[in-house]
Amino acid sequence: MKELVVQASFALYAVITLGGAVWAVTAKSLVRALLGLTISLMGVAALYVLIAAPFVALMQILIYVGAVVVLIFFAIMLTRAQSEDEEAGPRDIRKLMWSGATGLGTAGLLAAACLRHGPAISETAGEISPAELGQVFLGPYVLGFEVISVVLFAAMAGAVLLAFERRKER
Amino acid sequence: MSALALYQMVAFGLLAVGLFGLFSRASLVGMLISVELMLNGAGLAVVAAGQLTPMPGELSQATALFIMGLAAAESTLVLAIVYVVRKRFGSASSVTPSELKG
Repeated sequence: MKELVVQASFALYAVITLGGAVWAVTAKSLVRALLGLTISLMGVAALYVLIAAPFVALMQILIYVGAVVVLIFFAIMLTRAQSEDEEAGPRDIRKLMWSGATGLGTAGLLAAACLRHGPAISETAGEISPAELGQVFLGPYVLGFEVISVVLFAAMAGAVLLAFERRKER
Repeated sequence: MSALALYQMVAFGLLAVGLFGLFSRASLVGMLISVELMLNGAGLAVVAAGQLTPMPGELSQATALFIMGLAAAESTLVLAIVYVVRKRFGSASSVTPSELKG
């Protein structure tokens, strides 16, 4: 019974994730595409919960849905005027076919490699507490932890500088 | 199919959809959305690999958190670039800035 529930919820979350992703890349309106992205991110968060990683699921919602999606929404709003028209034009069928072939080819190649040479797996996923994660971040990987904050700071300072300079020249 | 393979299939699905969107979208913001999809697929694959194989799980979760931080930094920068492109070229399309003037 428990097995069945897990399998059914996995199927549901996978459908939500992939369906949201497909909506995100096919919707003509960018706001709807963003909604599709949000649904997909929520599906991925649910998949994280299913695999016994609730902390990563929480961070997924906090960082992606709380920060990245809002940022992209700002980008849409700031460039609103023509972003609707660009996607509304007639679709180039050959371009679409090439894009689909590229995506399916790359992913299919990797999937075949994974199915063929998959590693030995342990079927039970152990839960990692946030305290253990903190020990990893402040123990052996403290350099990476510091570097990611520097990268974030540099990106934000660069973004402010880019947008500010343009405005001053006008 | 094992649980790991199922998770990786979902991740590869996200990769395929993201690549399709990256090449077929005409607007820069649409391309950014596709890149976020691909990064999500990467995070999902890494966490699934860490949780379902004998490797230390905290390592994979830390990697997923790094990926999220990088995605946040990347989208901040892309937002600024899209804004500048919009101001300079008058549209946020990926085609307009590629017209070089000598």
